[in-house]
Amino acid sequence: MTQTRTIKISPITRIEGHAAIAIELDETGNVADSRVHFQAIRGFEKFVEGKPAEELPRIVTRICGICPWHHHLASNKAVDRCFGVTPPPAGQQLRELIHSIAHAEDKLLHFFFLAAADFVIGPDADYAVRNVIGVAKANPDLAKKVVQMRYKAKMMIEKFAGKAIHPVAAVTGGFAKAMTEEDRKWMLAEMREIYDFARFTMDFAKKDIFPKYMDAIASLGVINTGFIGTVDDHGALNLYDGKIRLMKSDGAYTDFDPGNYTDYIGEHVPSWSYGKFPYARFWNEGFSLDLEHPKGVYRSNTLARINVADHMATPAAQEELEEFRQAFGRPAQATLLYHYARLIEEVYACEHAIEMLEDPDITGSDVRAPVEPKAGRGVGCVEAPRGTLIHDYSTDENGMITRANMIVGTTHNLGPINMSVDQAARSLIRDGHVDEGILNKVEMAVRAYDP
Amino acid sequence: MCLAIPSKVVAINDDIATIDVDGVRRKASLMLVEDVCVGDYVIVHAGYAISRIDADAAEETLALMHQVFQ
Repeated sequence: MTQTRTIKISPITRIEGHAAIAIELDETGNVADSRVHFQAIRGFEKFVEGKPAEELPRIVTRICGICPWHHHLASNKAVDRCFGVTPPPAGQQLRELIHSIAHAEDKLLHFFFLAAADFVIGPDADYAVRNVIGVAKANPDLAKKVVQMRYKAKMMIEKFAGKAIHPVAAVTGGFAKAMTEEDRKWMLAEMREIYDFARFTMDFAKKDIFPKYMDAIASLGVINTGFIGTVDDHGALNLYDGKIRLMKSDGAYTDFDPGNYTDYIGEHVPSWSYGKFPYARFWNEGFSLDLEHPKGVYRSNTLARINVADHMATPAAQEELEEFRQAFGRPAQATLLYHYARLIEEVYACEHAIEMLEDPDITGSDVRAPVEPKAGRGVGCVEAPRGTLIHDYSTDENGMITRANMIVGTTHNLGPINMSVDQAARSLIRDGHVDEGILNKVEMAVRAYDP
Repeated sequence: MCLAIPSKVVAINDDIATIDVDGVRRKASLMLVEDVCVGDYVIVHAGYAISRIDADAAEETLALMHQVFQ
């Protein structure tokens, strides 16, 4: 007797939250359909209505504790714009500095602790050893070094800007405190150490890791989509501020001001999910996750930012980008290249933080502009580690929130993750044969996006 | 998705903690955090405790989440 069956992978190991994959096999044992379900944060936007806008930068960090700083900053930028205030240059620099350090910390964590098990131990290894303990045992000195470096980055933020988990240091109109010359010096020394480690990691990955996985990179989870990211006025990648660039799969792109995002990005809610799936409304082709003919689908996060940028604003990262483009072209579509792109961004985030710390103006005492609550609308946008993060608020004349909309980095990738899982499942599962190694490879396709 | 829910550490065995969120128990590696004791709250990301947070902050966050997700 023939029958259909559903394979469930839940919860996905080493992927945060409560994601689950469901792969449906038809009566011949081949993939009929695959879906990835994520826990959604709907309800938050309603929850903040009626609250004083200035409190939002503090509240939002409690909802998303993985990258609290990025939410804290996007939220502050949105409130600034509601109230029509521009932070003084030193206030802007301090916000951007912490943003860069938080990026550097997040990427190290992901590469070594969430992704490395797939690469260092190998996707076919037994689940019992294919985890961080296995990685640590395989290379104890390296594991120790990663823990140290991540701790360094975390402590830099905590010592200078207070709580790393529920940040309060950025405020409407700027930053709560100025940086002393003493702070600047020790942070610069720490950042240079993290930069050296970022360079070591990049070389280590290019020499010892990526070459072994070229087959997987060329095939696993590969889909053809557009991309989104933020660039400065010269087209260089910028994690903190700039224009949003929306690129089609053929490389043609449009730049727009984040304040006009609703003209370019639509939000689709499919019948089978509570999550909002952003899509490129501007392309006027609707929304479809069809593997052969996707419509309106673009990706965010590291690979997307590396693809949309014309160049990198710092020298070492630019050299890495050139080498990457030589090998994989622009835009590069292979999903596992998210890991490679993540390390290029790691080099950039460290270099940029060093640049900012070398600028004596960062210790300027004027860090906060006076603020008066008023009616307005403000869109605050930064590149969070997982993608373009948009906070959009409206306030009444007392500065209370009347409407809020948020697009969180990972949500841009919900459609593409579903496509990559479907692609991986279809190419790996044949005639009902499924084993642990195959299912882990399907998970690897998800893990590259760091959802 | 990338939500981080404060979790209470209810047991520690070697470097692995048993954590509790509203009665749901899971395991998390303590490799990335120092000095975590039973009774502490941690933020867990992808199977690792990535930060320790004080009890007041954790309870405030949990109360907020209960309001949002009620």
